[in-house]
Amino acid sequence: MLKISKLAARDYFYEWQISACYVLALGTVLGPLLVLFGLKFGIVGSMVSQLVEEPRNREIRPVSSGRYDIGWFYAMHKRGDVSFIVPRKRNLAANIQLKSKTAKKILDVELIPTAKNDPLLPNIVNPPTDIHWLVLSASAANKLAVHAGDVIDGSITRKVKGQTQRVHLKLQVHGIASSASFIRDGAFGSLSLLEAMEHYRDGYAVEEIDWPGEKLKSKGYYTGFRLFARTIDDVEPLKKWLNEQGVNVRTRAHEIGVVKQLDQNLTTVYWAIALTSLIGYVLSLGASLWANVDRKYKELCILRLAGFRTIEIICFPIVQSLITAVLGWVLAIIIFHLAEFTMASIMAEQLESGQRVCRLLLRHYVLALFFTCCSAVVAALLAGVRATKSEPTEGLREL
Amino acid sequence: MSDYFSKKKTLLYNLYKVNRSVGSGNAQFNMAIKNLRIYQGDKIAFIGESGCGKSTLLDILAFIAQPTQSETFNFYLQDQEPINIFSEWQKRHFDPLSQLRRRYIGYVMQTGGLLPYLTVKENILLSRYMLNLPEEDEAVDKLITDLKLERHLNKSPSVLSIGERQRVAIARALAHKPKIVIADEPTASLDPYSAKLVMSLFVNLTEQFNITLIIASHDWQPLKNFGLHRYYLHTEYSSQLTETSLI
Repeated sequence: MLKISKLAARDYFYEWQISACYVLALGTVLGPLLVLFGLKFGIVGSMVSQLVEEPRNREIRPVSSGRYDIGWFYAMHKRGDVSFIVPRKRNLAANIQLKSKTAKKILDVELIPTAKNDPLLPNIVNPPTDIHWLVLSASAANKLAVHAGDVIDGSITRKVKGQTQRVHLKLQVHGIASSASFIRDGAFGSLSLLEAMEHYRDGYAVEEIDWPGEKLKSKGYYTGFRLFARTIDDVEPLKKWLNEQGVNVRTRAHEIGVVKQLDQNLTTVYWAIALTSLIGYVLSLGASLWANVDRKYKELCILRLAGFRTIEIICFPIVQSLITAVLGWVLAIIIFHLAEFTMASIMAEQLESGQRVCRLLLRHYVLALFFTCCSAVVAALLAGVRATKSEPTEGLREL
Repeated sequence: MSDYFSKKKTLLYNLYKVNRSVGSGNAQFNMAIKNLRIYQGDKIAFIGESGCGKSTLLDILAFIAQPTQSETFNFYLQDQEPINIFSEWQKRHFDPLSQLRRRYIGYVMQTGGLLPYLTVKENILLSRYMLNLPEEDEAVDKLITDLKLERHLNKSPSVLSIGERQRVAIARALAHKPKIVIADEPTASLDPYSAKLVMSLFVNLTEQFNITLIIASHDWQPLKNFGLHRYYLHTEYSSQLTETSLI
């Protein structure tokens, strides 16, 4: 088999001009197909993955205050389509004034309840679980001129019988949220801190941190929640389910829908073009290989006369087709990279850092090679078998 | 003389009532071989007019054309059972036939039939290459020298003259020292002087290697001095059928 392969390769490169035409024909069909797939996998893919990766797109916010007991939260937490849920208290009770030694200005921020696996705090390994811990947004940390580990003063006020009362609490900056996660001034704290603030504002005492007031009789209900669906695909069904439970919520379903629709449309267009090109590609590859075997028929008959076996004669066009397939594939990759470079240069300003217009993974290249080789082998095999069906004498007299 | 008669000749081919019919309608052709026995070392010439089926007969003997009918078509190898060639064709056992061609037959085509992508040397050594025989061989070197091909060895066949190509084809047919060399009008495309030269070399070389030589030619004249045994192909024409039989 090695002998016939060597002869096939010799013949292939001897007729390099014709071989180059076959390679060009293959590369110029496969190349644009790769570009098309690269676009689909690149720019559109990154838009979709941005949607998936952006936690805010998975957030489901209650439109109005409600009454949710702790049992409701446990039930929600157990759902497969929920990745994170934490109770919220009244918005008015959630404001806290922060003061650091390194900044003159007192910063009035919203305290957002957090817990383990908070999607908005992916860089915080241990979220604040202690009442004295706090995670600041990057903006708030900047204004307060503090870093992780610093201790700041937190204070809240209440009015009792016309008199304003203020309490202070030493808070340790447990971490800084990334600016991408939370743009505004804000602080993430434990649910216990938020509850303490609400109880104090309602006139109750918080014994744990020595805040004075009446004795708390019951913990009461939560008025809201911070809820994140597991994936963007879970947002819409979860919203629907909550609506059915009488909970009106707001999501980014519209934005998600637009990009998903765009992805779907582009996918349809892509596959329509890809399938048409693919059929054309396979037919043109098959036709050219078939024609090549026809052209080589006389020489194949000489080889049969010389005593090469049937399988070896079939191998002759297969080896040549495989060389065409591999070289055509290499050419297609070169075309793809040239197109990618050109598009990236043109769209450089519109692209975010790390974003690529046209992108293929190693497995895509391998798949393209595999598919090309398979098509080439099938076409050459059919043509090769045809060449061995007749008697060798038929082709000899024409030489 | 006594030596010649005391030696028992080894039978190679035994053909009895072998036919090959091709074509249809008004263009039917039938090749009929009533009885043909060829022995090791024979030098045979099939003589007949153009289009009478000489090449068809050679192709049948080279196992590259399938007979349509046959009572006996045996090929003999020393110390082995005769091989029923017709049966091999009928069973579509192409590979055993390929193996016989590769090992035992050298074929010189009318137009050379050289592979254009191989050099002259590689064309000559093709049969040896297929049989895993070493490239370097004294007999092959002598063959190349006798056929005056030394200066052409690294050339492409396309730059050679017709006569030179024919000499390369002869060298290729002989390089693996086959039992039989079949040559189809080996000198037809050569001028009379070159034809005589090439034919003389060809016959001498086959004699040196004790090779059975089977030649087809339309003209007996250039062959008559080389000691070949002559068979005539007799052709009859009718409106629908051309029928050739071997006399």
